[in-house]
Amino acid sequence: MIFENIKLAFAAMRGSKMRTLLSLLGIIIGVGSVVAILTIGDSASKSITDSISVGGLDMVTIYPAVGQRSTGTFTEEFGDTLMRDVEGIERVLPQNSSNATVRNNQQSMNATVTGVLSSYGEALNLEYSDGDFFSTMDNINRRQVVVLGSSIAEELFPEGSALGGYVSVFRNQAKSYLVVGVLESKDATFNISYDKSIFIPYNTYEQRFRKSSSVGSYVVKVAEGYDTIEVSDKITEDLDNLVGTDGYNLFSPASLAEMATQITGTFSAFLAAIAAISLLVGGIGIMNIMLVSVAERTKEIGIRKALGASPNVIRGQFISEALTLTILGGILGIIVGAALSYAVTNLMDWSLHLSYASFILAMGFSMFVGVFFGWYPAMKASKLDPIEALNYE
Amino acid sequence: MANSVIRLQNIKRYYMVGEFIVKALDGVSVDIKKGEFTSIMGPSGSGKSTMMNLIGCLDTPTSGLIDIDGENTAGLNEAELAYIRNRKVGFVFQQFNLLGKMTALENVITPLLYAGVSVRERKSRAIEALERVGLSDRMHHRPNELSGGQKQRVAIARALVNNPTILLADEPTGALDTKTGNQIMELFEELNSEGRTVILVTHDRELGMRSLRQIRLRDGKLEE
Repeated sequence: MIFENIKLAFAAMRGSKMRTLLSLLGIIIGVGSVVAILTIGDSASKSITDSISVGGLDMVTIYPAVGQRSTGTFTEEFGDTLMRDVEGIERVLPQNSSNATVRNNQQSMNATVTGVLSSYGEALNLEYSDGDFFSTMDNINRRQVVVLGSSIAEELFPEGSALGGYVSVFRNQAKSYLVVGVLESKDATFNISYDKSIFIPYNTYEQRFRKSSSVGSYVVKVAEGYDTIEVSDKITEDLDNLVGTDGYNLFSPASLAEMATQITGTFSAFLAAIAAISLLVGGIGIMNIMLVSVAERTKEIGIRKALGASPNVIRGQFISEALTLTILGGILGIIVGAALSYAVTNLMDWSLHLSYASFILAMGFSMFVGVFFGWYPAMKASKLDPIEALNYE
Repeated sequence: MANSVIRLQNIKRYYMVGEFIVKALDGVSVDIKKGEFTSIMGPSGSGKSTMMNLIGCLDTPTSGLIDIDGENTAGLNEAELAYIRNRKVGFVFQQFNLLGKMTALENVITPLLYAGVSVRERKSRAIEALERVGLSDRMHHRPNELSGGQKQRVAIARALVNNPTILLADEPTGALDTKTGNQIMELFEELNSEGRTVILVTHDRELGMRSLRQIRLRDGKLEE
């Protein structure tokens, strides 16, 4: 019976192609926009998360507030305090940075100079196009060695390899640094632009740049098997007790990524809800075509009733017809929505992240629309008086 | 009495037309026995169409009892009446009333669909019915590719296919030329001779006289 009903539905659609196409269009646009919005939203969220997590999702950076610099909390030993208080920290890397001009022959540019421990490179999974990070000995001996960000290296050494060359870094007076490593180009995060940074040993920095005894910031690496957000929450708690909420700033890519996902999620759900309204409008279109169809086929309904079709059978026939329409519209809508998502993500240079949940959601909703808006016309058909319907011309 | 397939007892069917009551049937009692060929005759407005609709369970009386094949139909709902139309009655109409978008075979299959017959049996039974009316070579044609007489044969096959108790024909030759009409009448007579109960509704006196029994109606009453 279901098979016969579907066959009848297709026969009816063939009978009025233009009308069917127009009412299908309503469903296609509705389903297509729901799918496109959810898919594009997912892809956008994924791409934002990706860019936030460039710096490593297992990293948390702590910035002491300016007023905290001289209180004695944020010293080199602060890392030990933090690791004692909070479980799940692999290591704490103090770092200092400032801006300086770097120069090689006639080429010069501004760069962020950061003094870090030799383990920094490994902790942040830095990759090198040339050379390596400096060593522990470089740090202990306060050697004047430097690792260059890729833009700096390109700018200062336009004609060849920077490795083994020297750059001058100006801070009160010019000092010459040996280039031991060049970084691969790496996307900037919210708090650091790697390509425009240079890294020197912590102790060298201390000697050359720093005047106060406090540390500029700390990079905290969360130990494997621990949730970064949980650990960063605990760090927050600990710091609140230690220096108060105003005493520091904490930057956690993981928390930020989560927040971004939430925001884009809420936003795309909101947009999808608006798109769903267009699906509802499409449903009214279905109801309209079904009412016309019932009116046009009054005679057919009368004949079927005379041949023994019960009201249920007639109702089933017309609901099947509405459902066939909306399922067909749903499938076409998903194709249109996916194509649209492909075009948009391609244009925005995001990776396409097809939202299968949205396919199911949109399909389910359009089937619901089919039954909901098909019900009244089908009811009307099933209740037609057989004699009147038979005599209808 | 025991072998009557249709029994109408004091049937009244009134309609409201505006403020007036139209008494389409006003106290009619009829008994039709199994295997009879009966004509219901009368001028237009005499109530014969109303009577046909009541016998075919397309309509229910204002008062009175109708038994079809020994079964009382009073108080049945739409679905139950549909069941009787499907199993006990085969309709043949003046204007054929075929489903235009379907082939002859699909038309004949339709009542079997509603009877819940399996796919394979449907087809073989429909073909058999079409063969019975001599149309096995036109099965896959649509109504607009068939002549009037062929259409009416498809309609008869469709009426026969569920093996109903009663064949109910409403002016079946009304839209056909004399020669074709005659062939259709002969088909009905053949079917009757095979034991089927045939009821012919007509205003054509000559046609009505071909059957053994005539029921004449005038102004909603039996004319004796």
